[in-house]
Amino acid sequence: MASGMYRLVYYSRNHIAHNEATFGSHVEEILEKSRINNQRDEITGALLFNAGCFAQVLEGPLDKVEAAFERIQQDERHGDVSLLALDPIDRRSFPNWAMGFIGTSDIHAKRFAGIGLSSGFDPSRLSGDEIHALLRDLAIEEEAA
Amino acid sequence: MNVATPFPQITQAHPAGIPSAEQILELLPRPVLVVGSDGLVTYANTASMTSLAAVVGSEMHDLFPGCALNLATMTGAPSSLLVSRDSENFDAAIAALGAGQFLIDLRPSLHAQCADKPSGLDELTGLTKRNALLAYLSSALCTGPASSVAVHCLDLDRFKMINDTLGHAVGDLLLKKVADRLTAACHKDDIVARIGGDEFVVLQRHVEEEGAAETLASRIVDLIGRTYVIHGHTVNIGVSVGVAIGTNAVQARDLLRNGDLALYEAKKAGRGRYSMFKNGMDALLFARREMEIDLRRALALKQFKLNYQPFINVTSNRVDGFEALLRWEHPVKGNIPPLSFISLAEENGLIVKIGEWVMRTACVEAMSWPGEMIVAVNVSPLQFKADTLLDTVATALKRSGLPAHRLEIEITEGALLDDTDNVIQTLNSLRELGVKISMDDFGTGYSSLSYLQKFPFNKIKIDRSFVASDDADSEAILRSIAGLGASLGMAITAEGVETAEQLSRIRGERCTHVQGYLTGRPMGMDQIPAFLAQNDVE
Repeated sequence: MASGMYRLVYYSRNHIAHNEATFGSHVEEILEKSRINNQRDEITGALLFNAGCFAQVLEGPLDKVEAAFERIQQDERHGDVSLLALDPIDRRSFPNWAMGFIGTSDIHAKRFAGIGLSSGFDPSRLSGDEIHALLRDLAIEEEAA
Repeated sequence: MNVATPFPQITQAHPAGIPSAEQILELLPRPVLVVGSDGLVTYANTASMTSLAAVVGSEMHDLFPGCALNLATMTGAPSSLLVSRDSENFDAAIAALGAGQFLIDLRPSLHAQCADKPSGLDELTGLTKRNALLAYLSSALCTGPASSVAVHCLDLDRFKMINDTLGHAVGDLLLKKVADRLTAACHKDDIVARIGGDEFVVLQRHVEEEGAAETLASRIVDLIGRTYVIHGHTVNIGVSVGVAIGTNAVQARDLLRNGDLALYEAKKAGRGRYSMFKNGMDALLFARREMEIDLRRALALKQFKLNYQPFINVTSNRVDGFEALLRWEHPVKGNIPPLSFISLAEENGLIVKIGEWVMRTACVEAMSWPGEMIVAVNVSPLQFKADTLLDTVATALKRSGLPAHRLEIEITEGALLDDTDNVIQTLNSLRELGVKISMDDFGTGYSSLSYLQKFPFNKIKIDRSFVASDDADSEAILRSIAGLGASLGMAITAEGVETAEQLSRIRGERCTHVQGYLTGRPMGMDQIPAFLAQNDVE
């Protein structure tokens, strides 16, 4: 089905226990699943997370983005999902899939440093991006809350 | 239900302490009937009374409509499908007892649905439908302890609005997503059913663990309330959930009814939440239903009457008129105050008919008052919605012969909350008739000044709470509203004046009228001449 390109941005509260081991394994599972699904569905974007929240940009065909968002909504490992943007776009701002840990916790930063590298997450390339900045601010506030 | 059975000895236990056959039959959780060849029931066990409302003397074709039963030919067959009045399916095994009597053993049927229709599933969502749900539920209640089963009755909030604004195609997709989310939230042994447009029921099993039902209900409220994205639209709905656990209600329909009662409570408490069934909810609803039945008759039986409370012009010290107050004289329960029945009347729409009666009666009765005395009549927001208000008022004036300027209509802010433009239009038409319009209970609701700007009310009535308390804050509010009214050219009534001290305070605050126990209690029509004579009006 022909479907225009859309960008969806949300952030949500993390319901995963803050326990180091559980958190790590859950996050890895989430990342792995999204990587597979998104590749299949031609979805690119960015997923930022820390112990407090998830913040995600999804870009791709509308029907695929909707389906991905519905899967995300059914996931009880997070809640209080705020949909920040849902807009048609001419071209992707995130041509690849990127994910990374942002936050102030040193322990988590070390723990998830490898994820950013392996997924091609490059904070410096994204830092100019408005959406990224927005997500980043939200995420850091959320972790502190 | 007290029904005599042909086995009066059932309460006697067997000498050895083993229950008698009759006791076992009575305790059997599924219906057993004995039927004569003429189709008349000659024995009905307890389960058949509760699930089929079968009693001795019931007729088979009433219990199972559309079922042409030939008991003799069905005897010995493995089982036959019988569908009850409540569309519950039963597998019936029939045995001949001799002397033209037949034993019918009824088991709730799980699979009858498939034989009945090609698919027992809802076409749109793929969920179970009502009949199959009832069968599953009966079976769950029969096979396990009832306390291990819970039903969650769901009603989507704001679904109609989505359907109306975004169209049925989006509405249908939304229902599918709701169905998906429900299925995702439930255990695979649970049953999710769609029983109406936007009504769903979840049958939850294994709820023995404390709080298991509450956990699922709160998960449902969370998941269904999360934002949906459909065709590029962001869609937000909510869900109200009523939960009942099968502790005492052993019948499927009882359990669903309890769930519905709890759902009603959840909606009343503000929607977007769940509510657990509690004993007593049925009694409350029963009382409410009883009152509704009485209320429907009250008009025809002339149980309503109007009392009148005077309002006094503080400058002339004269009675300017009376506010009509509705009284319900119930033949058994005595006087029922309006607070106890108006909300019910608004809920079921009876308020429109009652309001018409009040308007007609007040206009007729006011005709007997001397001079230019005004009658003030309260109008419910619902009467504006009904779109007949203008007609009602015009007719009441014409039939009674009361000049329009002697009628004052009191509305509350509630009338202006929804569909403000239409309401203002009606108010303008009423004003063109010559009727006065006043704003009642000002200060307790939104007290929106924009309403005062949108329509030139003749009068503002300040709520009694600002009159009753003599603290500096209340006094300041009273003074400000009175000042505001005076500047806008509106009369101001202070309500609930009970003491001379309050009255003297109000005189200093630019109020034009007072109403309260001090200046006159509500009185019957027949007391008005004496009251006026005493107040030396004319």
